[in-house]
Amino acid sequence: MKFCLLIVKNLRRNVLRTLLTALGTMVLVFVVTLVWSILFFLDEVTREKSHNLKAIVTERWQIPSQMPFAYAQTLCEGAARQPGDARPTDSATWQFFAGTLDPAKRAAEDFIVAFAMEPRKLATMMDELEDLKGAQAAELQDNIHRMELQKSAILMGRDRLAKINKRVGDTITLHGINYRDINLECEIVGSFPPGRYDANTVINRDYLNDALDDYARKHNGKQHAMTSKTLNLVWLKIPDKETFSKIAQQITTSPLYASPAVKCETLSSGVTSFLESYRDLLWGMRWVLCPAILVTLSLVISNAISISVRERRMELAVLKVLGFRPFQLLLLVLGEALLIGVASGLISALATWYVVNEVMGGMKFPIAFFPSFFIPANAIGWGLGIGALTALIGSAMPAWSARTVQVSDVFSKVT
Amino acid sequence: MEAAKSIVRIRGVHKYFTRGSEQVDVLKDLSLDVPEGEFLGLMGPSGSGKTTLLNLIAGLDRPSEGEVWVGGQLISRMSEGRLARWRTRHIGFVFQFYHLLPVLTAYENVELPLLLLPLSGAERKRQVLTALELVGLENRMRHRPGQLSGGQQQRVGIARAIVTDPTLIVADEPTGDLDAKSAEEILDLLGELRRSLEKTILLVTHDARAARRADRVVHLEKGQLVENEDADEDVRMA
Amino acid sequence: MFADQPLALALPPGSRLPLALAVAALLVAALAVAGSIPIGYNVRNLIVRWRTTLLTALAFTLVVGLMTVMLAFVAGMNHLTEQSGQPGNVIVLSDGATDELFSNLNFVDAGDIERQGGVLRDAAGQPLASREVYIVVTQPVIGPSGETLRRRFSQVRGLDDPAMAGAVHGLELFPGGAWFSQAGVETLPPKENPAGTPAEGADRPAIQAVLGEGAAQQLGAELGKPPLVVGDTFELGMRRWVVVGIMQSTGSTFGSEIWAKRGVVAPLFGKADIYTSIVLRTAGADAARAVSTDLNDHFKKAALAAQPETQYFSKLGETNRQFAVTIAFVTIVMSIGGVFGVMNTMFAAVSQRTKDIGVLRILGFARWQIVISFFLESLFIAVIGGAVGCAVGYLADGVQATSMVSSGQGSGKTITLELLVTNQILMTGMLLALGMGALGGLIPALAAMRLRPLESMR
Repeated sequence: MKFCLLIVKNLRRNVLRTLLTALGTMVLVFVVTLVWSILFFLDEVTREKSHNLKAIVTERWQIPSQMPFAYAQTLCEGAARQPGDARPTDSATWQFFAGTLDPAKRAAEDFIVAFAMEPRKLATMMDELEDLKGAQAAELQDNIHRMELQKSAILMGRDRLAKINKRVGDTITLHGINYRDINLECEIVGSFPPGRYDANTVINRDYLNDALDDYARKHNGKQHAMTSKTLNLVWLKIPDKETFSKIAQQITTSPLYASPAVKCETLSSGVTSFLESYRDLLWGMRWVLCPAILVTLSLVISNAISISVRERRMELAVLKVLGFRPFQLLLLVLGEALLIGVASGLISALATWYVVNEVMGGMKFPIAFFPSFFIPANAIGWGLGIGALTALIGSAMPAWSARTVQVSDVFSKVT
Repeated sequence: MEAAKSIVRIRGVHKYFTRGSEQVDVLKDLSLDVPEGEFLGLMGPSGSGKTTLLNLIAGLDRPSEGEVWVGGQLISRMSEGRLARWRTRHIGFVFQFYHLLPVLTAYENVELPLLLLPLSGAERKRQVLTALELVGLENRMRHRPGQLSGGQQQRVGIARAIVTDPTLIVADEPTGDLDAKSAEEILDLLGELRRSLEKTILLVTHDARAARRADRVVHLEKGQLVENEDADEDVRMA
Repeated sequence: MFADQPLALALPPGSRLPLALAVAALLVAALAVAGSIPIGYNVRNLIVRWRTTLLTALAFTLVVGLMTVMLAFVAGMNHLTEQSGQPGNVIVLSDGATDELFSNLNFVDAGDIERQGGVLRDAAGQPLASREVYIVVTQPVIGPSGETLRRRFSQVRGLDDPAMAGAVHGLELFPGGAWFSQAGVETLPPKENPAGTPAEGADRPAIQAVLGEGAAQQLGAELGKPPLVVGDTFELGMRRWVVVGIMQSTGSTFGSEIWAKRGVVAPLFGKADIYTSIVLRTAGADAARAVSTDLNDHFKKAALAAQPETQYFSKLGETNRQFAVTIAFVTIVMSIGGVFGVMNTMFAAVSQRTKDIGVLRILGFARWQIVISFFLESLFIAVIGGAVGCAVGYLADGVQATSMVSSGQGSGKTITLELLVTNQILMTGMLLALGMGALGGLIPALAAMRLRPLESMR
């Protein structure tokens, strides 16, 4: 215990240096935490799950994936034909409607991509929304209810609301861009809890499908160009890998989906393919950026501890004269470094977690379709770990040098 | 003795510091005259205010009251910038621990103060070599302090002190870190310089033997000067 | 409305960098002279404490080196998006389409669009116009045991007249290749499965393709081979394709594309009766603007979205800008860490040399001269560390990487880029190092001047 006290006292000796080192550590841990959070999230999403997986059915060969709505019913049942066929436990459809608030100007701020789906499925099929509890879950149910009662009711994430300068309760008109000549007048009846859906807009799919039918009626039965391309994505909830393989097989071999052909893949597989383009960038982040920052951090700590040991050579020699063993001197120095590293790393991770998640509402990093990234709880552990590891590496050499201080050093200058 | 010009003239100097709410008087009503060419010894126990007095004479500090004249100039009223420039030209310091810059050679250490003067490179070289010859170290001028003995380092210190041809040389315990033989050599050197160059020397010391070399010794006790005409008397007192 | 400005990175304005650097260098030199304390003093002290100097300089090297590599990545992306567009070209999409992928132009309107006033003609009197269908195909990558490893996105451009397209986009083939034929297909010896049975689609002729260099490399890498050359085959969309030519396309987005006969590929993917874009060649940037406005405002038969090609590509640089901002953020934060590191070093140097400082003050050196001496010492470490960092970062020049460029409003193009270490980037690196050194060295230097000389020496 006295040993620990000695460590703390040594750090207090030069408060300025301890502070500078701690601040340097905190700043660098902050950046690593940000980068690792992004990588962590992407790793999670692309990890193949073995139970309770989600699969997506899309057009086989192209992007954008465009299928006729007639596919919807059978796809939602996993293309099951015979009694023994596998079926998904739940399903949902997505149709993307791109529109602008101002058809004359078409500025970037007015551009909105909404996805049309069954309101009910928001609570059962969407990541994060299906896990809501308490007040947030109740609010979501309320919103769903409103959307079912009023087809023109829509939900919009808070960031998107801010961007177009609107609030819950306002009415907007989406002038179709990919659905030319189809304009949807919508009332914003609610929003999403802060998180993944901050930038999203959801409309009732019946509203869109009704609008397409209307169009045909007004044009003497001639279908809108997009009618055969309106279904973009079908979500399936599947209990395990075996069932997934069966359903995928059913869908691929079904004669119903000839033109266009479709494919069925797990969600993680789909995201992985999408991230292919960013492979080099992510590689660089993981294997160049982070190591470089960690090395810099080690350097900063190493520098500070080296200076500290050098200044105290005399005292360390005196400690040896008093009977301290070499490895105890080593531990003394290591202890100082660890204390600074771990404390700074922890504080930094906590602060980052709080600031990014609560204050900033997530990091915006322009990768794929993910609007923002949040700091996972694991980050606290990372901060601790990074602080400890870099402290140990950085102080290894000075600590060794402290161990080998010569007792005779004490006497040579005092003649 | 007014015939010789006073190199140092201190009149009615008080110096106090405030520590918290207390006022500490370090020097009280101090007056001193050092005629040109004198070798003056200044003795006193630690805590007597020697360092403070040196600060005042060197222009590193100002008296709370009173005047300090050095070389005919009222340095207690000069601005810091002027004092720095003045110090380079008029005072040479020799220290107990030599205080040479460890990374510079003997030559470069001696050259340092000259860098502040508007001299050409050739001029500087001439003056440095002259100073080094005077202390007898011209064949060691490329050595660093780490490669010189204590006595040799102190000689470099003395060379540095005289290279600008100063009005006054202040030696603060110059033999404090040397063995008996080297100490004698250094004191001989100081005496020799005083004779040949007609320098005024102020020697601060504990060492009675060193004090014996001085023409006159004054004592600083609890912030006030006590003067003894005869150096030998001090030896008896110590 | 049409901005023809080249993209600017989130860097200090390029033209002012050399000036800033020169001013900084002059300032440093002036300080060194005025300070009077010889630089040799500082240099030798740095050498005596070489371990500390090394550790501090290394931190600078890392920060500057990293920043250089990151910026080189963005510069590479910018270069690509800037070079891809020809100044005189106009790209015509259907109204409301932000990207070729979502554009549908009617067949019948093509001729009228091409005959628009201002569109140049070739020697034979034909309008210099390229009718194109842009398709992004997802192709499963099959592993050795037949399982799907992942899917890649291949960019296919269906063209009626490849030579014309090459002329309009300013792309030429490498010697030894040719544009695909009128038919666009050729018959190859049938391919067999390992089991000896005919492979799927073996009875159909292979589709002729002209590849961009990046596409050739990607496809080759998947097969575990070097980049594809003329004569190689690959699979796409359940058909076999054969390479008939490679485009000299480094530095443009077309480098990642596969070009083939529109009449053959478009029906494969359900885009048989539309064009996604028509690219027109006009006399120059001004003519391009004029023709675009004309088409947008006066073309009666259909609603068009026409713009100079350079503007179209400039919008694709949107994500570049976002990356640049992120990089600037990471760099600044890292350099703060580095500043703390150098502050530690300089504070230690000051406290270790209090006697030196005392001597210098007694000899008559002014306080500000002491400050300058330590300040310059810090800058010295910074310059050495920064220069090495620039050199290390420079090693990344020319390295290839894939990324995606996007306007942020929908799809993006996967591209292969080369990292580009520009002079601008190198100068920014040096200025960053100097800035870090100045910030980290100033406060300790100021602390140095406050010491009381005689006290520090007794």
